[in-house]
Amino acid sequence: MNNFHRPAANARIPVKLHRRVCLVQTEDAVLAEELLARKKLAQDIVGRLTDRVLLVRPGRVEAVVQELQKMGHTPQVSAK
Amino acid sequence: MADAADERWSELLRLTLAAYAEPLLRQVAAKLVRPRGQWPADELIAKGLAAVANPAVLDRRLKELDPAARQLLALIGHSRQPVWALGNLVEMMIALGHADGLKPAFDLLSAGLLYPYFTPPPQRGTRVQTFEQWLGFAGPAGLTVFTLPLIAGRAVGEPLPLPDLSQSAIRNPQSAMEADGLEIPLRLAVLWQQASAAPLRRTQNGGYFKRDAERLAGDKLLNNPPAEGLVDVPDFGFLVAALAELEGVLAADDSELRAAALPAAWEAGLAATLAALYADLPRLQTWNALEGWRGPDAMAGNPFPSAVLLGLLLLARVREGTWLRPAAVEDWVHTHHPYWAEDESLRPSRRKPWLETFLLGVAYPLRLVQARRDDEGWLVRLSPTGRWLLGPLTPTPLPPGERGRGEGGGAPPPESGYPQTLMVQPNLEIVAYRQGLTPALIGKLTHFAAWTNLGAACTLRLEPETVYRALEAGLTFETIRRTLEQHGVRALPAAVLESLRTWANKRDRITVYPSAVLMEFNSADDLNEALARGLPGERLADTLAVVVNEGAIDFKHFRLTGTRDYALPPERCVTVEPDGVTLTVDLAKSDLLLETEAPRFAEPLPRASANGRRQYRLTPASLAAARAGSWSLPMLERWFAQRAGQPLPPAARLLMVGGAMAAPRLQTHLVLHVAAPELADGLMQWPETRPLIAERLGPTALAVAEENVAALRERLARLGVALAQ
Repeated sequence: MNNFHRPAANARIPVKLHRRVCLVQTEDAVLAEELLARKKLAQDIVGRLTDRVLLVRPGRVEAVVQELQKMGHTPQVSAK
Repeated sequence: MADAADERWSELLRLTLAAYAEPLLRQVAAKLVRPRGQWPADELIAKGLAAVANPAVLDRRLKELDPAARQLLALIGHSRQPVWALGNLVEMMIALGHADGLKPAFDLLSAGLLYPYFTPPPQRGTRVQTFEQWLGFAGPAGLTVFTLPLIAGRAVGEPLPLPDLSQSAIRNPQSAMEADGLEIPLRLAVLWQQASAAPLRRTQNGGYFKRDAERLAGDKLLNNPPAEGLVDVPDFGFLVAALAELEGVLAADDSELRAAALPAAWEAGLAATLAALYADLPRLQTWNALEGWRGPDAMAGNPFPSAVLLGLLLLARVREGTWLRPAAVEDWVHTHHPYWAEDESLRPSRRKPWLETFLLGVAYPLRLVQARRDDEGWLVRLSPTGRWLLGPLTPTPLPPGERGRGEGGGAPPPESGYPQTLMVQPNLEIVAYRQGLTPALIGKLTHFAAWTNLGAACTLRLEPETVYRALEAGLTFETIRRTLEQHGVRALPAAVLESLRTWANKRDRITVYPSAVLMEFNSADDLNEALARGLPGERLADTLAVVVNEGAIDFKHFRLTGTRDYALPPERCVTVEPDGVTLTVDLAKSDLLLETEAPRFAEPLPRASANGRRQYRLTPASLAAARAGSWSLPMLERWFAQRAGQPLPPAARLLMVGGAMAAPRLQTHLVLHVAAPELADGLMQWPETRPLIAERLGPTALAVAEENVAALRERLARLGVALAQ
């Protein structure tokens, strides 16, 4: 690791906070592709943050979980 | 040692005493605490709470009471339910021969051993000036009182003036039937599963929506009589639903009853489970053995809780092992209970027998009574469990340090245990033999398998949805496997194990974060440093981490460069440059939605603008890609309105829909320049010249087709205007 870029131990780390975000994380990129290919899911997914992480339209999480279950998946819903 | 339940009761009592006006509090404290000086109100309440938690003090205070008041507390103790409708207590006192049934309750209120019960608990400012005033404000549901379990428990054993009905008793018992006590827990489990799938909807007046009422009335698992069904019970499904509410299996959420947690008592064994269900009986308002479900009328007077307790106490009054006919018990109740004895206007339908239905249809499945049948009909007697639950009817000394009877004191009958009771079949069906079932095992099975049949041997089915629900509730593949293996009569079939593993693994393949915090760092090193400092998050990408619980983030390590709440409408964070196709994004205000949307119709510029902002440019190719990706003109217009706060720029519109519009035409026109806009207005308006003008190009410029020039010249000449070349 390049320590030159690391913030000092007591320095505050700059960060941008995205609150109340709804995400779907898949085990691999192929599964993410499979989900995006599902028309009903695709319309509730507004973007792909990484090859395994999809951003869900706000307020549509229940519909996404239901559609995943219809596809035969059993998603783990990670809530606090 | 005080447990959580004791603390809850103590807190309720503290709130209630705090709602007493100070003169009333001092009056009550004078009897309960015997203060030696003028203590402040808060101290009086604290001393009062200490007094009612001290068995020795309680025993002294109980001795000072009239026998009738002690009997009233004993009745509450026998019921194991500390909260009672005041009317029911008065009914029982009258049935026991006390002409003024209210006086014992009033004495107990004044003595600080019985209290008004408010739902919700009293808030600051609520004041009970006097008990007479409180009695005068009974709502439609009537008045309710409570005492502490310890107070009622210390009074159990106080002799009650109940007759010994042994003269009508039948001796020479032969075989006695006794239920296993699991019938109602099993039906509660079934209802929990049904409510998990679809909540029950309630109407405003407390009834059920038609569809849900039909579910409760018609569902076979809820309503089918038990294997040894002794009697038809009206609206059994509604009884189960009422008990489910009292047990907390169903919880009210707006206008719905949703599946909540299965009772904690199930983990403590059958005795604790039955004790909790028995304690629910006096609070049963929406169902009774005579009419079944009472629906929205449930708020009217309900004599059954008091009548039921009197009936059970009459069974307890006879020598152990003595059988009684339900009709003999009911005769006494109807003769002495004021609802039946004193109301001559009572409808004949309300005088019909009901106690046999209750004893055989409710008390029997709850294992309170044993039953047998002879030529003349059914006979009943209290079971060992019933005797334990009701407690002794005669004084039995208790050491001061021991908790009272009727609130958990004494020992319940031993429970038999056959841990191996499940047969798991390769077709994913589970056969559960009743003799080995326990409430705790019912609870575990309910979470991960669907009940399909209740009988001498119950059946369940393992399904992806049920396993998924269990995993969601915190169970793991291992805990499910262990449960099935521990209680299985033979090894778990490989096919079942494989299905469970597949379902559990499948669940791990997709994780949904419904409302997470995404932290976007400037660099991978920053993210590494944050994780090294203990950020409770998971890395999603080089610069992105997700945190499930924002409260767990220690913000002293971070400097926020921007925050965005995705539950709020999108924020304006885009500036459109004068060229109409270059978009500059304010990174402090932008969000992930923008960063995923913008690349769909614009190309990111390789370099940020001078102030470090990100830029995108609309190009014919990027907008062609947007059109191919199902972006429409209205979507783009909406996006610009939300994100830039302005309409779609003309250049952007040109790129988006220019190709779809009619082809532009090149034409030769002459331009007529006039001296003033008013003159141009006149030419555009006068019918003689209007058809000759092709288009107005500006305030004083008009386009004229070449072939119309002669006609225009001639008409202007008529006005005296010469057209200069």
